[in-house]
Amino acid sequence: MRQAGALLRLVLGLMAAAAVWEAAVLLFGIRPAYLPRLSTILAAIASTPGAYLDGFLRTLAETSIGFAAGALVGVANGVAFFRWPLLRDMLFPIFVVSQTIPVIAFGALVVLWFGNTLLAKAVIAFYLTFFPVTVNTLLGLQSVNPHQVALLRSFGATGRSLMLRLQLPTALPQIFVALRLGASLSLVGAIVGEWFGDTTGLGVLLLQAMYTENVVGLWAAILCAAVLGTGFYAAVAAAERHLVFWSAEQ
Amino acid sequence: MSRAAARGAFGVTLLVLAWELAARGLHLPAYTLPAFSDILLSVWDQRASLLRAGGVTLAEALAGYAIGSAIGIGLAVLLVVLPWTRRAIMPALLAINSVPVAAFSPLVLLWLGLGWSSKIVMVALAVGFTVFLSALAGFDRVDARTVGLLRSFGAGPFAILWRLRLPTALPLIAAGMRVATVRSLIVAIVTEMLGAYGGLGWIIYQAVVQIDFVQVWSAIFVASAISLAFFGLIGAAERRIVFWK
Repeated sequence: MRQAGALLRLVLGLMAAAAVWEAAVLLFGIRPAYLPRLSTILAAIASTPGAYLDGFLRTLAETSIGFAAGALVGVANGVAFFRWPLLRDMLFPIFVVSQTIPVIAFGALVVLWFGNTLLAKAVIAFYLTFFPVTVNTLLGLQSVNPHQVALLRSFGATGRSLMLRLQLPTALPQIFVALRLGASLSLVGAIVGEWFGDTTGLGVLLLQAMYTENVVGLWAAILCAAVLGTGFYAAVAAAERHLVFWSAEQ
Repeated sequence: MSRAAARGAFGVTLLVLAWELAARGLHLPAYTLPAFSDILLSVWDQRASLLRAGGVTLAEALAGYAIGSAIGIGLAVLLVVLPWTRRAIMPALLAINSVPVAAFSPLVLLWLGLGWSSKIVMVALAVGFTVFLSALAGFDRVDARTVGLLRSFGAGPFAILWRLRLPTALPLIAAGMRVATVRSLIVAIVTEMLGAYGGLGWIIYQAVVQIDFVQVWSAIFVASAISLAFFGLIGAAERRIVFWK
């Protein structure tokens, strides 16, 4: 019942926003070169739905593969750094430096290495995701109460069961903060990766619209990117509510 | 030097050595991995053009960073001081923020052209949202009972803002501004790549088109160095201003 109410509010909110957009463009006489009417943009999408759907699905695939790999490697890194401080001290500065490399430059290298493939974009999305997840996993693991560790140890808990039953669950809220950030970043990575000359994807649609100075097409691609970004973020947040059900911060 | 720093330096040295040995020993072609020393040499050879490009990018990033930080903090203050603006503006802000920032680059380039103004606007947009969201989270962290206490002593909204909300929010604002340093350069470079008259992003794009891999790496090297320096500078300022943390 509460979910139905929230859904209703969401739909009403979206309809209100659409009405405000449409009315503002008409009332203030905003030139279509800046902001076209929402109905024009939707009509543009409806006239060639195939191109937008293909682009959407392609970018979604790149984003989700890169995100999943980044999340797994990030958590594994965090656990490894927590277990072996020597490894952490040696590799952490390198990771920090790697994150100052502009994604576009890294993207150029990745595309040169892997070609214009789905994999190349997924690698770029991965690269943007794994670092925040690593950092937050490590921070979360370090925040575990040592008394609880001592208690479980006194019951004979091994390192593995300590990790699975106490340390990882304690770190989970922190990890999800990074995953939500990574959800947004991985989409940026996928879109920027497509700018090196691909044929399908939302980034390609953006670039083509820019070269032809097609503002309606640009806004249509931006709208698709917003829907994809919001949906992906919402999926991660839903997984968080499901998995971190005990967290008070909801 | 602390033990962690020594180990970190050791790790970096090891990486550079492994890189150099792998590139030289395995005779890796430049498109796989140029030797580290070749990159350094190329940076030195082209120091004039790289420095000029780095200067352009840094100027754009700094201008956008200053504008974005000011707008981000100002907006958060407005929303906190006048709660009704929050209900009015917040949905629109969240809608804009739901779009990946890079997706706005082509649009802003169409509007403002290939000059520096489009880069500054993009940086300001990215930095503004980062700082705004962390500042708002910081202001919201203030305990309602403390606000009530100050009010009972006769403090007006501005006194509460200045003496309570701002100091409470400062650590989070500073953290947001620290994260925004690296982001500002990255967004400037990304936007330059789509169209510009100069700057590191433009150099990188030219080098990719000409398949000049050492040049790509040189530009990356300079961009990373600038990012690290900017990050370190803001981090040092943060430690002085938020000294109680």
